[in-house]
Amino acid sequence: MWSYIIRRLIYYIPVYLGVILLVMAILRVQDPVAIHLGKNATQERIDATREAFGLDRPFAEQYATFLKKLITFDFTEQSWDFPGVTVGSMIRRSIVPSLSITVPALVLTTLLSIGVGMISAYFRGQAVDKALVFVAVLGMCISVLVYIILGQYFGAYLIYKKTGHELFAIQGYEPGLQYWAHYCLLPVMISVIVAMGYDTRFYRAVMVEETGRDYIKTALAKGVTKRKVMFVHMLKNAMIPIVTQVMITLPFLITGSIVLEMYFGIPGMGRALIMAVNSKDFPVIQAFTAVFAALFIVSIILTDVMYALVDPRIRLS
Amino acid sequence: MILNWKQSRAARKFFRSRLSVVALIVISCYLAVAAAIIMPEWYHAARGWLDGDDSSVEESGLITLEQTEGRVGTKNMPGFFLKQEPEKRLQHCERLLEIVDRALKKPNPQSALKDIEFGTLEVAPLPQAELRALVDQGWEIFDSLAATANLNEAPELLPKLNELEEVVDQLYPPPTGWNGFVRGLEMCLGTDRQGRSIFLRSIYSIKVAVQIGVVTALFAVVFGGILGMAAGFFGGWVDHLVTWLYTTFSSIPNLVLLVLLAYMFTGTDWDGTLIPVYVAFGLTFWIGPCRVLRGETLKIKEMEYVQAATALGCGRIYIMLRHIMPNTAHLLLINFSLLFIGAIKSEVILSFLGLGVKRGPSWGIMISQSGPEVINGFFWQIGAATVFMFGLVLAFNIVSDALQDAFDPRHQ
Repeated sequence: MWSYIIRRLIYYIPVYLGVILLVMAILRVQDPVAIHLGKNATQERIDATREAFGLDRPFAEQYATFLKKLITFDFTEQSWDFPGVTVGSMIRRSIVPSLSITVPALVLTTLLSIGVGMISAYFRGQAVDKALVFVAVLGMCISVLVYIILGQYFGAYLIYKKTGHELFAIQGYEPGLQYWAHYCLLPVMISVIVAMGYDTRFYRAVMVEETGRDYIKTALAKGVTKRKVMFVHMLKNAMIPIVTQVMITLPFLITGSIVLEMYFGIPGMGRALIMAVNSKDFPVIQAFTAVFAALFIVSIILTDVMYALVDPRIRLS
Repeated sequence: MILNWKQSRAARKFFRSRLSVVALIVISCYLAVAAAIIMPEWYHAARGWLDGDDSSVEESGLITLEQTEGRVGTKNMPGFFLKQEPEKRLQHCERLLEIVDRALKKPNPQSALKDIEFGTLEVAPLPQAELRALVDQGWEIFDSLAATANLNEAPELLPKLNELEEVVDQLYPPPTGWNGFVRGLEMCLGTDRQGRSIFLRSIYSIKVAVQIGVVTALFAVVFGGILGMAAGFFGGWVDHLVTWLYTTFSSIPNLVLLVLLAYMFTGTDWDGTLIPVYVAFGLTFWIGPCRVLRGETLKIKEMEYVQAATALGCGRIYIMLRHIMPNTAHLLLINFSLLFIGAIKSEVILSFLGLGVKRGPSWGIMISQSGPEVINGFFWQIGAATVFMFGLVLAFNIVSDALQDAFDPRHQ
């Protein structure tokens, strides 16, 4: 097992180097200093900023410096837009709001869609199944943004207007567990509804495929009730694709809710990145994307390891 | 080589389900509308290019960009020719009166009156003195109406409002014939916050969506397909390189990569065009087809017929084009329709973040603009954009499902 993990780690080193190269190259297609300072900046000011951030050096040298900073977790570079605020503090500040939406959303989505998927597979071919699949497909065809806009209107604004009592916040965020339901529950519900369509269909397909297996026939021939076969035998065996699917969605914990964060004004990582892009805040964009990619790769490796734990055949190939 | 494709098992299976045929018809309707909008644009662009002058003349065509940007009414008028609240109707009349009034006060009223552009509405060809009299009469009624605090709660004043509207109708005679039909279309889904026609904007957005979908999905399928096939077929360092490349691209979260690539173009000449969107989607979406094709090629390479072809002495390129490509074509087709959906849906997100379509309307722009309208209880814009998008995405979903069923040997 350990050799497998180490093999995976080594495999992803050149990938991460490539990611950093790609990100740095994309960010330097245009002169970042010139875009940030605008057209009216003097040449001296551009040169001074460029020198202060080492952007005048050759690309290879910048690449090496940035890599060194990443490896030593040195995020003390300052934001261009908010002088005095380091990139590291921006990351630390925004990580909790992000997770407070995405983690509950992932857990709820998985539980609910496995449940609905199993109901659908249990009544396969009957009216219930057809109706569920139909609704799931219809739900998938509507844009995320529509769900968010209508969710905010009906879930927060209309309740506030009709009763005068603010059940859910229309916008904003406050740290602290006691405020969580007020600010985050509505975004979580919207994100669950958005993700349910696809996940339900996926889990239904998994369950339907399992029903064709021989062990199901054996169990049924032995006289086990259909319900028991469904919820005991099948669910256990369907765990492998379920675990994989959950692990695949893990990386999106960090970025998955950029649109939600933007719309509800929750100061998470996605929002911080978009704000930085809009104000051309180069050090923040560079550091955030590098950290995103690192977290993404870590979760991919975790997925591989989990997968190998669940299914030993993978390890040997 | 596929002359009798209609007799193939997959095609028979595909056309057996009536739903997928309906979906195909819906998709072709959308494509036809998009073509009807884009053809004149291309024609003008080509003519301008051939004549050597960039000042393109855009007078014909189904819908032009200028039409979607022009005002056709006051803000947030409801669709389906529903009557608005009296207060809003009063505003509409005020606006129309004001335009004529201002034109009449200009030093050269004749040309100013001609310049008035309000969708298909035109000022009546009456002598100026008569127009003046009508405007004054209108203002008189308007003043008496505007004195009441809230017209919505004063039903006894409604006849007077009707009178005012008659005066305005005399100023702007309602268009008849073809123009009346166009006016009806313009107004049939109401107007947005800036008084622009929602119907025209949604129809024009079909063209934008089809453009984005076709270009990016085609690029992703061709580019990813070639890379994936080459990686699977040649193996060795080609395989290593391609695998490294797509792992690298897929190790940046999808949305972050989209944002980065769109950022790359800020401030350049291409900023207002669709090119940043094409590049962002193209470079993000090729990973899927590449991965799928590599796996499939690895599988097919070991099949007997490929080995037989090798034994017969066929060249490697020949085998790839003649034996492997046709047998993976269905995967490309399925991936194309999935990526088309992905492109349309991602365009909404990118446009909302301010990095997508920047000039002209698109469904993403319309949906993200409708946020403040929804708060005021106006649902026409978000509804129209969602319904138009829903039709296209649902049709593509059904087609891609039917394709998967038709080509998947496990589903026999």
